[in-house]
Amino acid sequence: MAVKPRYYETLYIIRPDIKEEDLAKIEQRLHDALAAHEGEIIRFDKWAQRELAYEIQDYNRGTYYIIIFKSLPGAVAELERHLRFYNTDVLRFMTVSITEAAANKEKAAQESKAAEESSAPEPAAPAEAAPAEAAPTEAAPAEAAPAEAAPAETTPEAAPEPEQETKAESEPATAEPTEGGAN
Amino acid sequence: MESPRDRKYFARKKVCRFCTESLEMNYKNIDTLSRNITDRKKIVPKRNSGLCARCQRQLATEIKRARFMALLPYTVLH
Repeated sequence: MAVKPRYYETLYIIRPDIKEEDLAKIEQRLHDALAAHEGEIIRFDKWAQRELAYEIQDYNRGTYYIIIFKSLPGAVAELERHLRFYNTDVLRFMTVSITEAAANKEKAAQESKAAEESSAPEPAAPAEAAPAEAAPTEAAPAEAAPAEAAPAETTPEAAPEPEQETKAESEPATAEPTEGGAN
Repeated sequence: MESPRDRKYFARKKVCRFCTESLEMNYKNIDTLSRNITDRKKIVPKRNSGLCARCQRQLATEIKRARFMALLPYTVLH
């Protein structure tokens, strides 16, 4: 049976003080690697520049790049080989396989983004995503309320649980809209 | 009908947040994931998170992915 192409997502972290030309070189090489294996790139761009949760190779910040592509499984090993080759610049990388539905969603997002790009370049995308996301998240706390209120009511009657504190702490963030749409 | 409050202990009704709200669980979605870790950055156990088994498993996977990519810390001691 022939091996079917699958959808993958690779996220890699580049050190923050990289030179422009090195960055371009890496990107070019990854593009070539995928092209050589008949990989179809759905998305290839900078995802975020952020603080790392912990130090990697003495760096506390990193730039995240994301590649979403469709290819045969063999291409993943090849892509990762190239990423490993630049192991001083690429702090970390990870490839996960994603569902076709997720890939198609991404594809549609990319296409609509490309259409928007002519009018407003980068900031448009997160701003557009936020209102759409806001509706489900606003409705959500109402549904979640009974479940979340219940533990609080129990506290006086039931035996005190040490974990109660941590739960309470993790909850206030609930109402915040997620960034999911912007990804 | 006996109301749940009259019982000495009552099984609190847990509804899986991820199932009911169809939240997207993804390792890049740090806000969602960080709600399910303790202040010591441990993954909140199922008995406290109230998630269904499937969601809890997937959540654990996504948190571990996020940790590997330095999106979430493994511990507070870093």
